[in-house]
Amino acid sequence: MTDLAPPAPGMLEDLRRRFFASPLQALVSLLSLGLIALVGWKLLNWALLSAVFDPSQGAEACHRAAGACWSVIAARWRIILFGLYPYEEQWRSALACVAVVAMTVLSCIPAFWTGRRIAAIWLAGTTVFYVLMKGGVLGLSYVGEESWGGLALTLFIFVATCLIGFPLSIVLALLRRSELPWISRTTGLIIDAVRSLPLISILFTFAIVLPFALPHWLQGDKLYRVIVGSALFFAAYQAEIVRGGMQGVAHGQGEAAMALGLSYWQRVSRILLPQAMRNALPATINQFVISFKETSLVVIVGFFEIIASGNAAYGTGEWRFAYAEVYTFIAFIYFVFVFSLSRYGAFLERRMSVGER
Amino acid sequence: MATLAQSPNPDIALRIEGMNKYFGNFHALRNIDLTVTRGEKIVVCGPSGSGKSTMIRCINRLEEHNSGRIVVLGTELNDDVGNIDEIRREVGMVFQHFNLFPHMSVLENCVLAPMLVRKLPRQQAEEMALRFLEKVRIPEQASKYPGQLSGGQQQRVAIARALCMQPQIMLFDEPTSALDPEMISEVLDVMVTLAADGMTMICVTHEMGFARRVADRVIFMDRGEIIEEAPPETFFTASRNERTRQFLSQILNH
Repeated sequence: MTDLAPPAPGMLEDLRRRFFASPLQALVSLLSLGLIALVGWKLLNWALLSAVFDPSQGAEACHRAAGACWSVIAARWRIILFGLYPYEEQWRSALACVAVVAMTVLSCIPAFWTGRRIAAIWLAGTTVFYVLMKGGVLGLSYVGEESWGGLALTLFIFVATCLIGFPLSIVLALLRRSELPWISRTTGLIIDAVRSLPLISILFTFAIVLPFALPHWLQGDKLYRVIVGSALFFAAYQAEIVRGGMQGVAHGQGEAAMALGLSYWQRVSRILLPQAMRNALPATINQFVISFKETSLVVIVGFFEIIASGNAAYGTGEWRFAYAEVYTFIAFIYFVFVFSLSRYGAFLERRMSVGER
Repeated sequence: MATLAQSPNPDIALRIEGMNKYFGNFHALRNIDLTVTRGEKIVVCGPSGSGKSTMIRCINRLEEHNSGRIVVLGTELNDDVGNIDEIRREVGMVFQHFNLFPHMSVLENCVLAPMLVRKLPRQQAEEMALRFLEKVRIPEQASKYPGQLSGGQQQRVAIARALCMQPQIMLFDEPTSALDPEMISEVLDVMVTLAADGMTMICVTHEMGFARRVADRVIFMDRGEIIEEAPPETFFTASRNERTRQFLSQILNH
């Protein structure tokens, strides 16, 4: 019987040992508990118990109430989500959001990870988004990029940044590992240069300065220049993450693949990248999350993404006091997207760790 | 030299002539001459740093030789990428640290190159893979990942993976050096079977028992040079070379 582990303490006993072992510890525990309860109660009271939900009573009801004024969301949600997009056409913007989300979700499912399927999903997704947002065909009225806004714009900038930036980051990482010094050094220089500039200055340069330097036919709309700038920024950071992942792949892997007669691209696509991306996954998800949140910086060059639309939503006289509610609502939207992204990252890590010792 | 290019002897698997190799200023291989006929089994031994591994790694261009000639199965190994590809298709290699692809199952490891390089359809590649996995006595592990296998099992999979390309020459670079002692014999047994099937083999190894059993010739290298070349019996019992005798006494007398 001597080799049996001592019996595990019950839950109450465990709590006592951890939090109430000495009088001082008990005091600290009780005080903390009290603080948590107080803050929790205040929050609950503000957010739910004393809050106003009914938009028909208008802003007046909120002034009388002690809690949150959710009626501002009910009254102004369309501005938050769709920005300056023409009111009657906002269903198009909503459907476009659905299309982008559906495209992203589908391309996250392993069953669709073949070149042809991914290409089909992205082509369909972007076409649907484009036709809906811009119109001018199929009897839809034309809406220029300058009127796009809110969630649809945020999602579009994010997804486009990733679609361009991610492949670019892999190319940059491979070039930086090139055996030819002038290629690896030049690539390193580009990456380091982009990384040492603030994103705001890059966006500003691409949006405002570039038109003076580029011939007219190469300029494109400001929106696309901004996307290219933000994709470049994303790629510079992601390239270093990918390169770090590649360094973690044992040297013998490439040699074994060479000895089997695999070509350079076969070695990169079948042996190097799958293992490098597995190593780089946590940092990659991090980079995606950061990029999603950084889309809000496009305000600086005059785009009306979701935070700017939020500012407009409470900016009229009637709702001027209700900024906390609007920001809470926007934070909630961010949370839904970013948290899903993180959970997806965790799923991928589990999936990719198959076969690890 | 001229005769070599003009009339390739079909019985010759490999010919190395006057090969030199430098790492920076370090002269790693000095004037290596070696001819291996088809079906021959060569064991290469020597102290560490003597250039054994570098020499066999030059045969499939994992290292580039700086001068001299290497002709593998009638194809000259030079900067021509087509030639390099052709030689790699016909020369299999087994590494000290196995180098299995950890993100693929054993079966995927085995079918990858036949499908990508030899363009075999999957079904045919899998049938062949299972045949070779049976040959190395490990067919029941086909769906596992390398990380779930013991060192000896991994090395046997690595041998099967190389065989799936149906190579005409097999290179072994210290295949048992990274193994726990109790796993060495299972790998050597597979290599003995392979030798009995008539495979052309060049093995860098310190397993002298294996050398006695299997080798047609033992090559002793030191400081980048081939010092001695002899049939195993002569090599182990009647070597007249001082350095060989010293090396043998170091690895045998304890």
